[in-house]
Amino acid sequence: MKNLTPVSLRVNGEQYDLLIHPWRTLLEVLRENLSLTGAKRSCQEGQCGACTVLIDRKPVNSCLFLAVEAQGKDILTIEGVANHGSGLHPLQKSFVEKGAVQCGFCSPGMILAGIALLDENPNPSEEEVRQAIVGHLCRCTGYVPIVKAILDAAQEMNAAVPELAGEVRS
Amino acid sequence: MTYTRRLPHFEFFSPHTPEDVCAFLASHSDDTRLLAGGTELILQMRRRETVPGFIIGLKGVPGLNDIREQPNGGLAIGAMTAIHTLLTSAPIRANYGILAQTAAQMGSPEIRQLATLGGNLAAALPCADFPPVLMTLGARIKLQSKQRQRMIPVEDFFIEFGKTAAARDELLTEIQLPPVPPLSGGVYLKFHDRHSMDMTTVGVGAHVTCDEERRIFQDVKLALASSAPIPLRTYKAEKALRGRPFSEDALEEAASLVCEEAEPRSSWRATKAFRMELLRTLTKRALRGAWEKAVSRSNGGRS
Repeated sequence: MKNLTPVSLRVNGEQYDLLIHPWRTLLEVLRENLSLTGAKRSCQEGQCGACTVLIDRKPVNSCLFLAVEAQGKDILTIEGVANHGSGLHPLQKSFVEKGAVQCGFCSPGMILAGIALLDENPNPSEEEVRQAIVGHLCRCTGYVPIVKAILDAAQEMNAAVPELAGEVRS
Repeated sequence: MTYTRRLPHFEFFSPHTPEDVCAFLASHSDDTRLLAGGTELILQMRRRETVPGFIIGLKGVPGLNDIREQPNGGLAIGAMTAIHTLLTSAPIRANYGILAQTAAQMGSPEIRQLATLGGNLAAALPCADFPPVLMTLGARIKLQSKQRQRMIPVEDFFIEFGKTAAARDELLTEIQLPPVPPLSGGVYLKFHDRHSMDMTTVGVGAHVTCDEERRIFQDVKLALASSAPIPLRTYKAEKALRGRPFSEDALEEAASLVCEEAEPRSSWRATKAFRMELLRTLTKRALRGAWEKAVSRSNGGRS
């Protein structure tokens, strides 16, 4: 077919060699080609944050990113966060325990934004946590449990296993 | 707009050098758009406001996101430098703190990873935050085509809403900043509803240099966002302040002149009268903030 472009991606540690059209977004390819539906399609304008994934450990809106431009990049979706044999990531556990998940639609994006924050700043203040999730809309929780979940997870990760924060994306 | 709408079809090119970009533009410029961060162009394409036949992806072009200190003490910032990088770059934080301060007020961490300084200029939107800030810093921008390369002051780059001075075959490669005078400081203030993620209702950038005695406005540059169809430098207000001692009266007069020069529109976001009110207040605040930074500098030191 015309315009099909070869693209190699590493998603959650696995290598994928795909042939895709250049007009397809990374979000579409993750959801439709790789069946990774954790990243959500919602506003499609970068306003809601539900489609957030990490590209080379940095959070981006995958609805605004052409899949062809992800050539050679390392991508982490919510499906890859708990993939390392020891159950849920501390941040995921914290979300469950603090009631930060209600309908769950914003949770993948929120958790990836939280992971990116703790990666750069393992001891964030409440204000820094709020700044890290400004690009994420949640219509259920009122944000308070989400902020608390990220703050508590940071404490727990610093106390228990200091190197765990970096390990997820190995 | 339905939320399932996909992008229109196009052919995609990812050149490996700026020269390759220019060569492609020289032969295909009519139907081609340059894709930087995508935070504006992708939206325009989804809304079918633009339906280009060819897209040139700039993310993989090496050299376009370098930040280089210049021999004259200034700084050259590659057009593809992400807004996030402006927050973290050491030379920017050291000497051009207003860029980091402006970056922190924009979008979200996710948007700041994608959006670029060059894209913020090239979209030529009146609500963009960096055009007025770069005007207050005396920035010049480098435009490159297959045949030539030219530098223009950032003030000359904006022609009308959505339209720049760049010819169709030209690529914005770099933003050059002159060295900052020792006793100077800059502030950018904006009003927006949500304090994140939304468009700038109005924005005011001020850069002030004071005299040795820290009494007089030796130099002032003032520029506005969302206050005219294009980013606006307010020369009359600047002139009224130059050579004058700092005083509340001087700030008041400058704010009145800014309101004379500005021509904001009414939209669902804000009425013209409200924008004028905001401009009056933010101009005084920005000037006061920039003045305080300037006078608190030690002679010879910059930051």
